[in-house]
Amino acid sequence: MNDTNSMKLIENHKTTGEPFSKDVKISARNVDVFYGEKQAIYDASLDIGKNEVIALIGPSGCGKSTFLRTLNRMNDTIDICRVKGDILLDNENIYGAHVDTVPLRARVGMVFQKPNPFPKSIYDNVAYGPRIHGLAQSRVELDEIVEKSLKRAGLWNEVKDRLHAPGTGLSGGQQQRLCIARTIAVDPEVILMDEPCSALDPIATAKIEELIDELREKYTIAIVTHSMQQAARVSQRTAYFHLGQLVEVNPTEKVFTKPEHKLTEAYITGRFG
Amino acid sequence: MNFNQHISQQFNADLEAIRTQMLAMGGLVQRQVSDAIAAILNGDTTSANKIIKREDDVDEMEVNIDKECTHILVKRQPAASDLRMVIAVSRVVRDLERMGDEAAKVAIHTLEFANSNQAHSKICHQAIRHMGTAVVKMTSDALDAFARHDIEGAIEVVRSDKMVDEQYASAIRELSTYMMEDPRSISQAINILWILRAIERIGDHARNISEQVIYLVSGADVRHSSLTEIEEHSTTEEHLTTEKLPSSDLPAAE
Amino acid sequence: MTKPTANTMTNNFEKNSGLTTRDKVEKSLARRRAKETRFRLYGMASVLFGVLCLIALFTDIASKGTAAFKQTSLTTSITLDGDYLNLTKDSTVDEIRFANFDGLIKRHFAKEMKPKSRSDKRELFKLLSSGAGWQIQEMLIADPTLVNSSITFELLMDDDVDQWFKHDRQLSTAETNDRLSDKQLNWLSQWIEQDRLDTHFNTLFFTNGDSREPELAGIHGAIKGTLLTLMVTLILSFPIGIAAAIYLEEFAPRNKLTEIVEININNLAAVPSIIFGLLGMAIFINIFGVSRSTPLLGGLVLTLMTLPTIIISARAAIKSVPPSIREAAYGLGASKNQVVFHHVLPLAMPGMLTGTIIGMAQALGETAPLLMIGMVAFVVDVPGFINDPSTVLPVQIFLWSDSPERAFLERTSGAILVLLSFLIVMNTTAVILRRRLERRW
Repeated sequence: MNDTNSMKLIENHKTTGEPFSKDVKISARNVDVFYGEKQAIYDASLDIGKNEVIALIGPSGCGKSTFLRTLNRMNDTIDICRVKGDILLDNENIYGAHVDTVPLRARVGMVFQKPNPFPKSIYDNVAYGPRIHGLAQSRVELDEIVEKSLKRAGLWNEVKDRLHAPGTGLSGGQQQRLCIARTIAVDPEVILMDEPCSALDPIATAKIEELIDELREKYTIAIVTHSMQQAARVSQRTAYFHLGQLVEVNPTEKVFTKPEHKLTEAYITGRFG
Repeated sequence: MNFNQHISQQFNADLEAIRTQMLAMGGLVQRQVSDAIAAILNGDTTSANKIIKREDDVDEMEVNIDKECTHILVKRQPAASDLRMVIAVSRVVRDLERMGDEAAKVAIHTLEFANSNQAHSKICHQAIRHMGTAVVKMTSDALDAFARHDIEGAIEVVRSDKMVDEQYASAIRELSTYMMEDPRSISQAINILWILRAIERIGDHARNISEQVIYLVSGADVRHSSLTEIEEHSTTEEHLTTEKLPSSDLPAAE
Repeated sequence: MTKPTANTMTNNFEKNSGLTTRDKVEKSLARRRAKETRFRLYGMASVLFGVLCLIALFTDIASKGTAAFKQTSLTTSITLDGDYLNLTKDSTVDEIRFANFDGLIKRHFAKEMKPKSRSDKRELFKLLSSGAGWQIQEMLIADPTLVNSSITFELLMDDDVDQWFKHDRQLSTAETNDRLSDKQLNWLSQWIEQDRLDTHFNTLFFTNGDSREPELAGIHGAIKGTLLTLMVTLILSFPIGIAAAIYLEEFAPRNKLTEIVEININNLAAVPSIIFGLLGMAIFINIFGVSRSTPLLGGLVLTLMTLPTIIISARAAIKSVPPSIREAAYGLGASKNQVVFHHVLPLAMPGMLTGTIIGMAQALGETAPLLMIGMVAFVVDVPGFINDPSTVLPVQIFLWSDSPERAFLERTSGAILVLLSFLIVMNTTAVILRRRLERRW
């Protein structure tokens, strides 16, 4: 995308704040999402910078999860879902005609609301991604990937003695970190997190938040969260969605002390939502 | 959807409580200041004694309001305007307490004058009266501005503080001429200097309060900035409203 | 009722009714408890009724059926006269098959009991099973060197004797049935005195095919027919059903056509089974020319019948796989096929197997459609493979229950017992299989 073109888009957008960034990893332009007849996202344009944690907040049903899921085409699994507009990952449209979702999802990984380890061993959970994508040539190499991923997810020390125990036998927080390890095992560039801590206790949540902060060094992270404190803690930028519209994007600190838009203010001060 | 009300009614009540308590404390401090100035001008020791006694009430109010601010921080994790309200109240309360201290100081000096049997001095009476009236008005204006979220009023207070500072500087010059003319008046002049200093400090605290009004309304931290900077901030930090975003674009609220 | 210390709120209530809230609650509590107890009693009564019916049914079948596993026989020593039988030790099987063993036995008993007249002779021979000669024949086929030697064996008695010996012997003569004459009873009591008449385990019941003679009738043919039919059904319906379920659930586009297919599958499950028999007759016999009465045909028809059950339960099993697992796999970049075969199928397998076994159990007990395709025929031979004419257990039961001989009544019950134990074995296998496959983690 050339400069004049993007300038024009910036002029046209209605979102307040700073939805565009210089060091872009993913940029969404004029994204509309429909579920059947119902429109879930209205003309959202947003850049996600490299090595940045962006938090998507907003009341229930505001489209933040839907927006997150358009970023790795998870919405494709829903038959009635249609996406208009462009989403560029490293300047390539992921909704292009010949884009295969399989390699895309290997590049843009996802962590879900409920910890959802496969009913397999811890090892197999982490090794599944590398196996299907053929990332390891040998058993030794696979072992290395598993160990590296578990270490990066901060789970290695807790599970190294029981790698072949079932992943579902771990505690909720450990399961979620296992899911993060599983995601980073395929070495993605972007990690999408859909309310990753909503099912966890405060200590497990703190661990995940700490982990997110560490992962930022290597990955670009977009996180949907219902907890405004969490958004304030982990993110550099915060985007506020309201009824399918991207209302405001600003540095997190600004959003939480002096939001530009009345709706953002009303939401984060607990006047609705 | 009513954006003026929190979902939690208790949160509304809590915020409203610290705001009204702070304004009540402001009223008390304002009275302390004006009484102290009247007492020094009239050499009224009874009034001065009352002022010193009431100072305890001011201190107690500060502690209470601060405690409630802490409670709100802990219980509600306020954000945006609520956060600014709590922070501003907490800061304003501290300034008010200091103003109370200064008023008490003036009252103590009133008593000292009476005890030292010094002839009721007329030195700098004019300056004390003018500055006194100015800071009492500033105090009440600052509190009004806080109550009404009025940036213009707050800026006006900042401007007045500049005038008070100038008056203070000229009163100091006046005092130094007294001291040079008559070395016997030095001790008395120093007392007057303390009083003028106290009144000037009250003006500074009133300015601080209005700075918090600007922070409360616009989110800009204008402490330690010049008047022109403050004026600049208060114009650029315009609050974006829903009207700016065509409301027809927004689908009907749930 | 009024408490002096009651606060204003209770005072208000008291003004209204003279009772405090607490009193009201306690009053209604008794009523609620009574209601609960009554309901529990209804429940217990209905469960008890069900259990009693079941016990009655089982004791009835078991009491009638267990007798079928015993058979009355007479210990007999007989010389296999080679001259009479026209046999030598080197005779071939065919020669043995043509030998007159019945005559040999009749000669032996005529000699032993010395009946006075022809009619006496007839009555005497009536006591012996028509299969007695066949017994000796089998022995000789197994060991032709027995020719000219004297053998002692358990000679099968006629079903009337069997019934009398097992059930009526204790009753006074007047009450005994009229199937046996006084003379016959006399002979029988002679044998009893000699301690030669006795009951033995009825191996023939399990090794023989059907027969017009109750004492020779067995369920071997029916069991084998059933197993072959079920094998055909399983081989056809399991893969087809699972494949259809996976396709419909995971791959089929959501449109009118798939909707119609789905509705029809659900409807098929409710179609009376005899319709499937008619369908099988029309299609498999008339169009494809599959021969009648064979396990192949039965299996095809039962496949039609069990498919809806298997598809529906397999789809339910697939649906019950948590979507989070699918999402996790998709999120890692698994293709649709990988998601289905790595994650959905293993998790759905226990449910699918349960559905399949339920379908098989249904097929095991099915009679109606098989009547339509000729499996009700009287088949004596045990089927060797799926294209031999045969019958199945439930149809065998149906056939026997229609027979007038009293001995068939207990054979019917015996066959029912066998059928029920088959069902129990199948269901147990289902449970064990599911337990083993189900990942409890």
